[in-house]
Amino acid sequence: MGQDLLNVSDVHHAYGPRPVLRGIDLTLRPGTLVGIVGENGAGKTTLLKILAEELRPQRGRVRYGGRFGYCPQHLVLNDALTVRQHLEYFRAAFGLGDLDHAEEIMDVLGLTSYSRERVSVLSGGTKQKLNLTLALMHDPVLLLLDEPYQGFDWETYQRFWDMAARLRRRGRSVLIVSHLAYDAERLDELRHLDGGLLHPETPAPL
Amino acid sequence: MNHAELYLTATRLTFVEHLRNRLAMALIAVFIPTWISLAYFVFENRPVPFRLQATGEVLHPPGNEFTQIAGAVNALTLIVGFMMFAATFTSGTFDRRLAMAGYPRVHLLLAKLTALTLVSAAVAVYATAVTCVFWSPRRLLLFTAALLCASLTYGGFGILFGSLLRREVEGMFAIVMTSCLDVGLQNPVHSSGANGDLVQYLPCYGALQAGTAVGFSAASVPTCFARQLAWFLCAITAGLMVFRRSTRRLPPPSRTGFLRRRPRGVPRPTPPVPAAPPDPAAAPGAD
Repeated sequence: MGQDLLNVSDVHHAYGPRPVLRGIDLTLRPGTLVGIVGENGAGKTTLLKILAEELRPQRGRVRYGGRFGYCPQHLVLNDALTVRQHLEYFRAAFGLGDLDHAEEIMDVLGLTSYSRERVSVLSGGTKQKLNLTLALMHDPVLLLLDEPYQGFDWETYQRFWDMAARLRRRGRSVLIVSHLAYDAERLDELRHLDGGLLHPETPAPL
Repeated sequence: MNHAELYLTATRLTFVEHLRNRLAMALIAVFIPTWISLAYFVFENRPVPFRLQATGEVLHPPGNEFTQIAGAVNALTLIVGFMMFAATFTSGTFDRRLAMAGYPRVHLLLAKLTALTLVSAAVAVYATAVTCVFWSPRRLLLFTAALLCASLTYGGFGILFGSLLRREVEGMFAIVMTSCLDVGLQNPVHSSGANGDLVQYLPCYGALQAGTAVGFSAASVPTCFARQLAWFLCAITAGLMVFRRSTRRLPPPSRTGFLRRRPRGVPRPTPPVPAAPPDPAAAPGAD
């Protein structure tokens, strides 16, 4: 596996009689931004759940070169807690000494002013910022992001890509799964998930 | 972060979650005194026969006072069961995310257990205080303990249903129906079979037996408490096991061993292909 941060080989998965993944191979080197696109139902979220260890593939292997962060497609937050309380919970989960890095991410995403707000009163976009912050706050070497910019306004969307570029410069790898190839020119590699297989595509502005 | 900090963080935030359940807080404040008060005023005070299983003795408590005990058990089991169900159900995926991020599940489980115990103790003391407005149970502390044990048992059911069921309405219905059947069948005021043999298998049988015994007699009650604690241990063990299973990383395939089948659509694994001999024409430097 060498220096690879992620190595996926021959991953298969099916839901009942319907095969979704028919042999996925993927390698992520440090400092790369990779996108996976595909139509609805192509198996993007299934693949990402397998990569995030939420789902065991029926065949194949996934190996990691370090700790990963995972931002699921659906908001996985607790409506009863505030933004700050989420950070406290995950600081304990990740075993972090402080919240300095989390606060930097919140600054970039424009989430700081909502620290004391309960999640139940936040807008969808602001909840997604928190969803993303929780995936990034332990500074993982590999980021697995499922439709990470859903609900973002234009400014936050731009900041997200700036942050992704900074992560790449620091040797982090980012895997973004989306149903549309927006901003393909920002990616180092773009793959198309179709028929249960990943096909290479040349990143080009759409 | 050490174990104590992990436990305290999880416990504090679990409490915050419970305290922000406004419906549960309103039910505690209003439903418990309303139920206990209405039972006292609406039901007749005519003595009803109630057989203590532990001693075989038949007590004849006033119908309305006995119904207050049954009502308190009913109200507490509904509220605590609902609180634990709501917390477990709504934070199920969040708890899994925490566990996958590295939060030790044992600390999350202990936090749930601590919250359940303290919430149950608080509502049991409250219900006892409301009951004391109308009459005084003979052994107050044991009376509170009986209510506490009933609440703990249904809190365990709440955690179990919250981890097991997929729709909110299913869990609510399960708790309401279980509690109503459980308590209703044991009340001799409106159940002719309340002193029969079958009721002893109901989840709150021990608590209702103990509550009535310590409320109106000097009868010995350890077996009643032991029976209720056994129900609690079964409920909480099942609840915590299902919770633990639902928050684990990478669930294994549904079939294992020789029964495991290759899913349809997934091709049969091919044997490794031996490496082809090197092509001399492709060697570096070859012309």
